[in-house]
Amino acid sequence: MSILASDGGSRLSRFSDRNFKYLVVAPAILILLLFGIFPLIYTLLVSFQNINMMETDTSFSGLLQYRLLFSDARLWQSLGHTLLIAAIALPIELIAGLLMAILFLERLPGRQLFVSLLVLPTMIAPIVAGATWRLLFDNRFGPINQVLGWITGEPQAILWTIKPDYVYPAILIAEVWQWTPFMFLILLAAMSNVDSSLTEAAEIDGASPLRIFRRIVLPAIWPVMTIALLIRGLDLFRLFDVVWALTQGGPGTMTETISIYAYIQGFRQFETSYTAAIAFLVIIMLTVSVMFALKRMEFVR
Amino acid sequence: MKMLTAIISGVILAATATTAAAQSAADRAVEAAKQFAGSEISIVWEAGLQSLDPLNFSGPRWEELTGIKVKVIEVPTSEMFTKILQEHRAGTGAYDALNVIPSWMPDLVNAGALEVLDPYVDKYGYRSELDSILATYRDNQMKVDGKIYGFPDDGDLFILYYRKDLFEDATNMAEFKAKHGYDIGPPQTWEEYADIGQFFTDKFAPELYGAGQFRQPAYGIWLFEERFRNTGGRFFDPDTMRATINDSAGVATFEGMRNDNAFMPPGVESWGFVEALSSFLLGDIAMTISWPPFGRWAAGYGTDDDALSWVPKTTIAGKVGYALPPGGSPQLAAGFSLSVSSSSPNKEAAYLFIQWLNSEEISLQRVQLPYALRDPFRESHFTDPEYLSRWDDAPAYLQTLREGADAGLLDLSILQIDKYEEVLRQATSRLWAGEEVQTILDDAAAQWDALTDRIGVDKQRAAYSDWAAKPNAYPK
Repeated sequence: MSILASDGGSRLSRFSDRNFKYLVVAPAILILLLFGIFPLIYTLLVSFQNINMMETDTSFSGLLQYRLLFSDARLWQSLGHTLLIAAIALPIELIAGLLMAILFLERLPGRQLFVSLLVLPTMIAPIVAGATWRLLFDNRFGPINQVLGWITGEPQAILWTIKPDYVYPAILIAEVWQWTPFMFLILLAAMSNVDSSLTEAAEIDGASPLRIFRRIVLPAIWPVMTIALLIRGLDLFRLFDVVWALTQGGPGTMTETISIYAYIQGFRQFETSYTAAIAFLVIIMLTVSVMFALKRMEFVR
Repeated sequence: MKMLTAIISGVILAATATTAAAQSAADRAVEAAKQFAGSEISIVWEAGLQSLDPLNFSGPRWEELTGIKVKVIEVPTSEMFTKILQEHRAGTGAYDALNVIPSWMPDLVNAGALEVLDPYVDKYGYRSELDSILATYRDNQMKVDGKIYGFPDDGDLFILYYRKDLFEDATNMAEFKAKHGYDIGPPQTWEEYADIGQFFTDKFAPELYGAGQFRQPAYGIWLFEERFRNTGGRFFDPDTMRATINDSAGVATFEGMRNDNAFMPPGVESWGFVEALSSFLLGDIAMTISWPPFGRWAAGYGTDDDALSWVPKTTIAGKVGYALPPGGSPQLAAGFSLSVSSSSPNKEAAYLFIQWLNSEEISLQRVQLPYALRDPFRESHFTDPEYLSRWDDAPAYLQTLREGADAGLLDLSILQIDKYEEVLRQATSRLWAGEEVQTILDDAAAQWDALTDRIGVDKQRAAYSDWAAKPNAYPK
């Protein structure tokens, strides 16, 4: 009995030693699964049901919601609007952030103060930023039309949030204003860490600033820049607050992003299962995009 | 001796019965509610000025009378339906009493979110007092499938406000007649509205424009529904349930709305309640169409109250005339009914609170609160000597509201109405964006048809038939 017990005890001890690392991380993994994976599984489950404002039909309804997705022109239009905003805003934020970072690499007077002030927009809640820009763009009381009026010499009543020619510029201005500092801050940090001996050597060898940037700085900051682009890209794909505050997706559905469309379907029209299908579609698209991007950038390695 | 005892008992019983009968619905609610003293009930109320009624007036008074605390949950109108349904679905019991826009009632009833009030009405003897609510509201905004789900509590409607000093000015009268061949006066048709609006804009702009109105898409549903029906439009073909909002009446409505902007101030497309109110009170526009509070505040009634400090001081007191909007059938835009949540853990106390609020006695005080936005909805509200003496033109104001209530047009109320309204909101924003009217309306009609098909043509036809059979669904 004692031999058996001793043998069993030592086996348990060996098992514990061998798997100690797993036992330590097990609670964290369990919590992650519970809070991270469960909502996904639940969303998937609901997307195969038929829950809406009028009925709570939790029986399996097959691919009903997913079939609806493909015939829903408004959904694909909203996806198009989202991609359009991302395609314009992301390069602008990157280039502007990069230029600002290059500027602030130099030891300018009041550098710390300016950097702090420039970063302020990112600290504001996006819905507040949107509401602020709505006031700025107001056709009667907003300063933007007033300034334009001074420049042109006649009163301006541009309907920034109503007329089709102005709604996208208005959204892009607000979006770029708020998030360029984020790009700037990350790139400034990355560029500050570039080995100065390399750039100095290149300068001595007579390399032009553009060549130095292309051959030395850019490769050095590439990994950080990629991550910054990925974060902002994902953020732009989920864009909601600024557009909601400025146009609520209008005129008509002209600026409706996929997040706004999902919100309207889910929380205004109570198409719960359909919204779950939209959410899952978005998750799949983002996962595939991120994996593709990481692979392209050889990040997985 | 037995005879004497019987007589005395009879007299006492008769006296008690008389006293009980003489007791008002408000008193009965208070007496019955005392059993819940020390408890708390919650009520969902529109955020902003509307909520000052339960926060400053009715809530504290109810607590004083019954010992029941009232927790006011302020929710923006655009989110009220969502929140009510969400809480109901989640079964939280967070809401006891509710403010409900009557056109939502069928959807909320179908979802099981509202409590049937008939048993309470009978138990607390409220039925006779419900009869003094104007028929328009009582018959149309109280019941679903013959059962009471809410007490109409707000006589909302759109009326036309015009600057009678400008309309009665001899020079303006002569010039207008010379130009248009008829006397200037409150416009009876949309064509007259455009003539008058353009006349004043041509003469006075930019100091004063002919008219200014709400234009934000949220108001689009009411603007369209009112003018469309006054132009002869019908929402659906009752046989096929295909949408008919894109017919000639729909096109005329949208084109008229867009054309009217020409004589309104620049940027009117972005106007909401506040922009229209401030422009009218500051004397920047000659006409506007809006809810009843505009008339009270234009007269300067109650605007010294702190709660109304944001309202510009009126520059047009005594200069405002009241009339029904062109077409003569105003939109009963929104309104509120008081309901009890079916998932409330305090249904009885919640019911007693809304009976008290809605009662003849208390509602008469509430519709005269200067800062609240409740408008007259009982016969007695229109004839109350105190209300009639609030300002010089109050009798004319109340008379116009009374006429408007009779001729008023109900908001469209069918299954999943918010989805249909969402289509109209989008159509309105596309209208201001400058798209072609027929295209906008064809798209809107196609979306309505798709919604009807999804909900079920037969189910929606039944709901629409019920609604369309009401006397205030379409102009008489």
